[in-house]
Amino acid sequence: MTITPTRTLRALLLALVAPLLAGCHDVEQFPDDPEGNFEQLWKILDEHYCFFAYKDVDWDEVHGRYRQQVNPAMTGEELFDVCARMLDELRDGHTNLSAPFNTSYYRKWWSDYPQNYQARVIEEYYFNFNYRQTGGFTYGILPENIGYIHYSSFSYGVGEGNLDAILAYLATADGLVFDVRDNGGGSMTNVETLVARFTPERILAGSICHKNGPGHDDFSEPLPYYYNPAEAGRVMWGKPVVVLCNRSTFSAANNFVSVMKTLPNVTVAGATTGGGCGMPFSAELPNGWGVRFSASPVRDPAGRLTEFGVDPTEGCEVDMDPYAAIEGRDTMLDFAVNRLLQGGTANP
Amino acid sequence: MAALSWAASLRAEEPLRPVSSAFMLEGGSSHLLDTYLSPLKYTGWHTAFSYQRAQAMKFAPATWRQQLDLGVEINNAGNPARNASLLYGNLSAAWSMSRLWRLPHRLTVTAGGRVEGNLGGIYSNRNGNNPASLKTDLSLGLTASLGWDVRLWRLPVALRWQTSLPLAGVFFSPAYDELYYEIYLGNDHGLAHFGWPGNMSRWDNLVTADLGLGNTSLRVGFRSRIYSTGVNHITTRTFSYSFVLGVVTDWLSVSRHRPLPASEAGVEWAY
Repeated sequence: MTITPTRTLRALLLALVAPLLAGCHDVEQFPDDPEGNFEQLWKILDEHYCFFAYKDVDWDEVHGRYRQQVNPAMTGEELFDVCARMLDELRDGHTNLSAPFNTSYYRKWWSDYPQNYQARVIEEYYFNFNYRQTGGFTYGILPENIGYIHYSSFSYGVGEGNLDAILAYLATADGLVFDVRDNGGGSMTNVETLVARFTPERILAGSICHKNGPGHDDFSEPLPYYYNPAEAGRVMWGKPVVVLCNRSTFSAANNFVSVMKTLPNVTVAGATTGGGCGMPFSAELPNGWGVRFSASPVRDPAGRLTEFGVDPTEGCEVDMDPYAAIEGRDTMLDFAVNRLLQGGTANP
Repeated sequence: MAALSWAASLRAEEPLRPVSSAFMLEGGSSHLLDTYLSPLKYTGWHTAFSYQRAQAMKFAPATWRQQLDLGVEINNAGNPARNASLLYGNLSAAWSMSRLWRLPHRLTVTAGGRVEGNLGGIYSNRNGNNPASLKTDLSLGLTASLGWDVRLWRLPVALRWQTSLPLAGVFFSPAYDELYYEIYLGNDHGLAHFGWPGNMSRWDNLVTADLGLGNTSLRVGFRSRIYSTGVNHITTRTFSYSFVLGVVTDWLSVSRHRPLPASEAGVEWAY
């Protein structure tokens, strides 16, 4: 057979196109109308949300109830309300729908409980406004010679040099109150940086897993992960610690409390934390609205999910007396200070 | 002296093998989809700069040639609502060796094998814990070209279609909803995947016309890049279609430490 340019070209095209057809991977696209955006939102959660079984949510049943509230003529704000109420069925502070005019937010994990924190009370009546600040840390030494640190958010970077300076300043104190009330979370890497100053040895910090498929029960095996002590030369803290928390201690702060609670010189006092142990993923709808949702569960060192919070150490449940606060007393802080003065630790 | 004469005689019997170099700039449209970042298809612009170097092989200069392709590309695309963007960048390097056939009517056909590596990633400007997706692969595949030298009045024009298709390789992908934070914590299992056309498809096509302007050619053309992966229930597609403008030169590699080349055996061009 004579090789001609035409035959060569034809054979080449066939050889090239055939395998390519096997590799084209298409993805369903929903239309940008109320029904399309609703279906896209439901499907994103259906395939990626990680707590359906844990929270006993029948997502198909939820679809039936809310789908009938969607119609082609509804406005964007009406659609947002329906979608937001559907997401509230998940009872998850990590699950939000963001539109240009509003962001949905499930608040009951803190709004159904006392706030239990007023920064002004501490700043004015305990420090007389004579406290130190660096990054996300507010700190000082209380009159009873107890050190105090408030970390406002794990979104603020934790510098090793900052921690050295803070802990060196507090080194003469007899104990430390580490206050993470109203800390809504942030970066998990900051949890590791902080915990590393409170443990002289490598510790099991928890385990993490991920969804490995779109099914509600498609999960990987939990991967244990460990924290090492801070590198040699860094200032460490080995004296007793009381970690103060409230219902607004959420996400990475919740994880911080769960790890600190396992350390022998640490007591957790205050209120059960707000939870939030599912690391969130992001996605979006055809109309441009963003959606965030829990996708990757993180367990505490004992292998438990802390989605609904970490309890205080037994006997250390305490709320802030609002009447005492008017008179300049933070009863939760007072409990923590007294605990330290008495030399009490959770895990002797 | 005898050794030098022997070496000189050898060189006289070897044909000259000019290097054909092309620098190309691309600009066109981009179409991105990465379900690890978003379920939506993004569209935008694509630009790339690439270098291509071809030369006849020393062991069989009349029938075998090699080609080196290096490139950097950047794509920026927006979601349908135009309130979010994906930025895709990629570095590529490929080397191929092909058999050359010179056919009647100034046609040339090449076909051979190619090894290619890519290192890049896609970044979303709106995502939180899943803001970026690493894209890297190494593959072996086929490459081919069809060339036709013509004349437009007195202007020599070299038309050429180049195509390449990987057949097997290895590429990176996290698991379905696996955060890179989990990989940072030490979960490095199952990140490398065997690639075959069923789960990793790439098809590059470059159609060019080199307009001979003296010792330098002006290259104009069109390029399509199609890349698609489907693994761990994650689909990635990066398609680009662009116009190409470039400069092509042919040159001989010489050394000040050796006599200038001169060959009685003629010249073997890469194309």
